[in-house]
Amino acid sequence: MSNTGTSETRTAEQPQHKVCWSCKGPVGATSLFCETCNAIQPPGQLDHFTRFGLKRTFIIDVDAIEATYLKQQQLLHPDRFASKSAREQALSSQQAATLNGAFETLKNPVARAEYLLRLAGHEPEGGEGHTVNDPELLMEAMEMREALHDADDRNAVDTMIKDTRKAARACEKDVADALEQNAYDRAKKLTTRLRYLMKMTEEARAKKSRLAAA
Amino acid sequence: MAYSEQLIDHYENPRNVGSFAKDEAGVGTGLVGAPACGDVMKLQIKVNPEGIIEDAKFKTFGCGSAIASSSLITEWVKGKTIEDAGQIKNSQIAEHLALPPVKIHCSILAEDAIKAAIADYRTKSAKGAEGYE
Repeated sequence: MSNTGTSETRTAEQPQHKVCWSCKGPVGATSLFCETCNAIQPPGQLDHFTRFGLKRTFIIDVDAIEATYLKQQQLLHPDRFASKSAREQALSSQQAATLNGAFETLKNPVARAEYLLRLAGHEPEGGEGHTVNDPELLMEAMEMREALHDADDRNAVDTMIKDTRKAARACEKDVADALEQNAYDRAKKLTTRLRYLMKMTEEARAKKSRLAAA
Repeated sequence: MAYSEQLIDHYENPRNVGSFAKDEAGVGTGLVGAPACGDVMKLQIKVNPEGIIEDAKFKTFGCGSAIASSSLITEWVKGKTIEDAGQIKNSQIAEHLALPPVKIHCSILAEDAIKAAIADYRTKSAKGAEGYE
């Protein structure tokens, strides 16, 4: 944490202020620009939730975050920094990349759940080379994919997309509950199930476009 | 990325696609998944009373490398004893198909699937033997 010098001492989890590199005045930890001299600030070491001014929780308002994200990306547009110093140009692109990564993680429920698991010190199941053999989960995945494979009209695929979306929403709620209760093993399993449901939705949508094109 | 001829051949003409009835005598079923890509693989073996794998079938929903890996392993295990089939290593599959590094996990999935099928066959035949006591 770069919480040094004149910044106020507070007892909150995250530093409330840091010091502006340009005018040495206090800057809010999540501020893109110095409130005093308006200089672009480095992104710093904040978790993705804090960066968007949120608590670390699974249930978030993705639309509201997206609105914030788009507004901030506009402020960070390279055109706005064309006449600025090299340092400011570099900082603005660092900020843009950091915000982009944070938003990509938060907007996707699987990535968000896995991120929360990692923040809590638990490695999710989806790692490279990691296989699962939970029979119930895999049986469900296999049956869904077989049904999709056999489906040959758009209405049937449409129903599958709706059903899978519904199951995914229910699963998201279960993930939220498990994380809320610090039941990390359950949260991991549910996150894997959510991955399979998302994959099924993706495949079903692809099949729907193929059927529409045919 | 250039894929090997072997990989493309197994992907375009997968061998032994299909299913056996799970409860059929001598059938072992392995069901495994790679959560990172949402892949799911079912591999089944039909074992004769001498412990030789007479037939094998698979059904894989996943990428081309996962399909090719499972197709190849069903070919390899046919005619082998379950002990020998259990010795097949993912590195042999990866080497034969010349899988790129990012697709190595597909061969791991195939190795895990055959092991799971053998384990299921063993559990079932142990239960079956108990039933006749």
